Amino acid sequence: MRPRYIDADKCTACGLCTKYCPRHLVDQYNEGLAITRPIHIDYPQAVPATYFIDPEACLYLKHGVCQICVCTCQSKAIDFSQKPEEKELSVGAVIVAPGFGRIPDETLAKYSYGQHADVVTSLEFERLLCASGPFEGELKCLSDRRHPKRIAFIQCVGSRDLGCDNGYCSSVCCMYAIKEAMVAKEHDPSVDITIYYMDMRTQGKGFDAAQKKAQAMGIKFVRAKVADVMPWEKNLKLTFSTMDGSHGFEPYDMVVLSVGLDAPADARNLARIAGFELNNYDFCKTETFAPLLTTKPGVFVAGAFQGPKDIPESVTQSSAAAGLVSGLVMKDRGKALVHKSYPEEKKIEDEEVRIGVFVCHCGINIGSVVDVPSVEKYTDGMEGVVYHAQSLYSCSQDAQEVIKEKIREHKLNRIVVAACSPRTHEPLFQETLKDAGLNRCLFEMVNIRDHCSWVHANEPEAATRKSMDLVRMGIAKARHIQPLPEQTVPVTDKALVLGAGVAGLTAALTLAEQGFHTYVIEKEDKVGGHLQHLAYTLQGEKVSTVLSDLADKVKKNKKIEVFTNSELTAVSGFVGNFSSVVANRKGKSTSEMTIDHGVIIVATGGREHRPELVLGNQIKYSDAIVTQRELEQRLAGKGKVKAPKSVVMVQCAGSRGDDLNYCSKVCCSHAVKNALKIKELDPASQVVVLYRDMRTYGYAEDAYREAREKGVVFIPYSLDNKPVIKGSGKKMTVTFHDPILREEVSMNPELIALSVGIVPEGTEELSKLLKIPVNEDKFYLEAHVKLRPVELPVSGVYVCGLAHSPKPVDEIIVQAQAAAAKASIPLVKGCVSVEPTVSSVDKEECIGCGLCESLCPYQAIRIVKDENGKRKAETITASCKGCGICASHCPVFAISMGGFTDEQITAQITAFGETKEA
Amino acid sequence: MSKNDFNPRILGFLCNWCCYAAADSAGVSRYQYPPNLRTIRVMCTGRLDAAFVLRGFAEGADGIFTGG
Amino acid sequence: MVVGGGVAGVQAALDLTELGYYVYLVEKSAAVGGAMAQLDKTFPTNDCSL
Repeated sequence: MRPRYIDADKCTACGLCTKYCPRHLVDQYNEGLAITRPIHIDYPQAVPATYFIDPEACLYLKHGVCQICVCTCQSKAIDFSQKPEEKELSVGAVIVAPGFGRIPDETLAKYSYGQHADVVTSLEFERLLCASGPFEGELKCLSDRRHPKRIAFIQCVGSRDLGCDNGYCSSVCCMYAIKEAMVAKEHDPSVDITIYYMDMRTQGKGFDAAQKKAQAMGIKFVRAKVADVMPWEKNLKLTFSTMDGSHGFEPYDMVVLSVGLDAPADARNLARIAGFELNNYDFCKTETFAPLLTTKPGVFVAGAFQGPKDIPESVTQSSAAAGLVSGLVMKDRGKALVHKSYPEEKKIEDEEVRIGVFVCHCGINIGSVVDVPSVEKYTDGMEGVVYHAQSLYSCSQDAQEVIKEKIREHKLNRIVVAACSPRTHEPLFQETLKDAGLNRCLFEMVNIRDHCSWVHANEPEAATRKSMDLVRMGIAKARHIQPLPEQTVPVTDKALVLGAGVAGLTAALTLAEQGFHTYVIEKEDKVGGHLQHLAYTLQGEKVSTVLSDLADKVKKNKKIEVFTNSELTAVSGFVGNFSSVVANRKGKSTSEMTIDHGVIIVATGGREHRPELVLGNQIKYSDAIVTQRELEQRLAGKGKVKAPKSVVMVQCAGSRGDDLNYCSKVCCSHAVKNALKIKELDPASQVVVLYRDMRTYGYAEDAYREAREKGVVFIPYSLDNKPVIKGSGKKMTVTFHDPILREEVSMNPELIALSVGIVPEGTEELSKLLKIPVNEDKFYLEAHVKLRPVELPVSGVYVCGLAHSPKPVDEIIVQAQAAAAKASIPLVKGCVSVEPTVSSVDKEECIGCGLCESLCPYQAIRIVKDENGKRKAETITASCKGCGICASHCPVFAISMGGFTDEQITAQITAFGETKEA
Repeated sequence: MSKNDFNPRILGFLCNWCCYAAADSAGVSRYQYPPNLRTIRVMCTGRLDAAFVLRGFAEGADGIFTGG
Repeated sequence: MVVGGGVAGVQAALDLTELGYYVYLVEKSAAVGGAMAQLDKTFPTNDCSL
């Protein structure tokens, strides 16, 4: 453990030391684009929020002189006596998640990186765009601080490039380039942006839609290889060559290199210490069907080190790895745990109302539209407001400390934060209140970002006025809020998994291995799902063996009960206490059973889409026109298999706007897999693949390269020049435009293989049953695309597999393990807490009319007889959803809703009517 | 007063689970809409008492919006 | 033990804690967050990454 030279318990992160430190240091956090000091913190939101001293740069640690910081630090936190420590830890399992490394500068040199200041990497560009970056979010050229008018992005820098030994595709660069281009356009709509690419690999969920949006914003996409970038007077000259062999050059003010993800620099060292193997690219070596196991038992891998990947896949792998570890070291569960304790809750009932208001800039998200200082000033002198302040990011760790401090200093007993949505951030601030000894319900949030600055971006004055009104209404409500008690309900520690494909079976196994009884229900008469139709993987593993192994393991596990021919017909309850009715078909008769369980994993899968119309061609499926899946089965058939003499494969058949709107992610690899198989069976076979963008992301790029080397011909088509398919059976013609020959080519292939997409299975019906949303493509919509990828918006319900989005089998397995890990959290805890927004009945006032009982849609309120035999309403807290129908209909106002009382809402309405001018 | 000068004050009651969430998504997608609405979040529009609507008008609202 | 305090490492550590285990999170630099902390915004919500 390296020392920080600062006592973490004493440091208040005030920043005084950095101000006085005399030495300059290049700021690594800002990618070297800014200057910091040897004593510093990377960014204000850093966790832990403790400064540290870089011993390599510190004058005292290097040369024994200075120590200015020691005298400036008010809290005496600086401690130069700290020494490096070695600790020996005894652990049950290890998860390695070292992330990725950077592409070496030599690779970037041919684009004048390092020679010209306006050639930047994408990560540097990210910092330039950021409100906390070197120019506070103003987009400027590094060379002379002018605003760039023309920007080029170069894709595949350090990826798909054997020249730098990175043959793989980094999977994330296409999407982040689009994002950065769009954000740059938001900063300055007049900026001209071109993205130079080989294939746009926007295969992720919703990514194609983003590319379309980028095109609509005027961002240009050019399929070309960039030869070099050279300084050209004040500008940069970018030379490129297109598919048809022609060359061109263009001037730019700024060139952004979309750098790939390299293996972490210390990968070999880490592998040696931990004793696991690496693959040929120095990433961690894993198998398709066990993606998170390293070659060393007990050591798991997660994140980009497993292979280049985006944030949601990384987060999913982490949860999955946690689930696997949990199964491995189950006997130690609950041992050595430290529970967080909170200070005792302050009684505030007798106190006068003392409100603290915090108005957030959210970087530039709010501050660039709404006049935050005026909104803050506006609250001055309002009844009950005794403190008000602004913050750059009110959700940051340091801002939480400020809030706690101000609560103490000003004896605040109500907090109003005007920032973003309570739907995402209320829990964070409530935690801060608890830490400060306040009941978490003494908090009100005002949404001046999602409902204001973001939606009235062109009307700053009106947005500011609206913010003021909303803040005034929030403060009015805050005057009436009261502390509410915490309530918990017990959990049934069993799980229900819907679907017995590879996702469902893997999830069930991960749950059972952690000790939880799991029911699996499957619509079909046998388990296996979509994977039964596949024969082999891109890496050559035989699918049927793996699938039967998995089914066998599930069968042998005493904690798993599988019901085939079964369907879910009704669900009631809530997280921790679900009750489901399952219909089981046996021959012609159907029986019903009821299952009690605490969580639900949705793994209902998907199936092949069979479009009638492909790129405008009417398709008649036959022996000669098949899907890739059918071709695969044919190629993997028993006995001697003959490869077709000539095959044309058509990519995106029915996908990406043809019939389905999205990319199915797996079809490109599927085509390459089958093409390679054909070449293996008969190297003389002619295989032509007509594609829009080959999306063989990650290591699948190796197979794509191999296929090209083995003579498979890949020809791109565009939407304004689609391939034409004519005839059927033995007389088929495919006509397409060859961009290299620059003419129309006709072929008479023996076989046409269509790379069709994947559609979800029955999501619409189930979404009604479980009240979970689907997206426009009918896949389930997760709770948060980036950070909660396997949770659904209904608590206690999780998703994995093809029902979430199309994806290859290794990603399905990880997702299933992750869903199981997330689902086991409430089961492990044994109880769930109920939000305090439930109803409560004033028994004195209640006249026992029973109107509430008859109206409640959740059967969460009932009439009972009290000790005097009088009829009184009573809330069943665990079932109450807090909708308030009872409260709004009670004729004697006896029912009150936690956090939404008549008094509070009325106060808000009254405040709406007051128009105090700023 | 011409049609174009009409600048109504609208009071909205938004259900936390759908309409409030939708208003959040509108923000995330940067949809632009007129800044005439002032909102009150409720856990469900079932919470709405007719009295709230009447009071809203009494306080000077030109329109009441409920989304649930 | 989780090696690496980027978004993957932090998520793994958080989940393990929720699942009832004591976790050591080992990070080379002075703060957790890794590369994600350097990102301005994330697709598709363009939320701030921090």
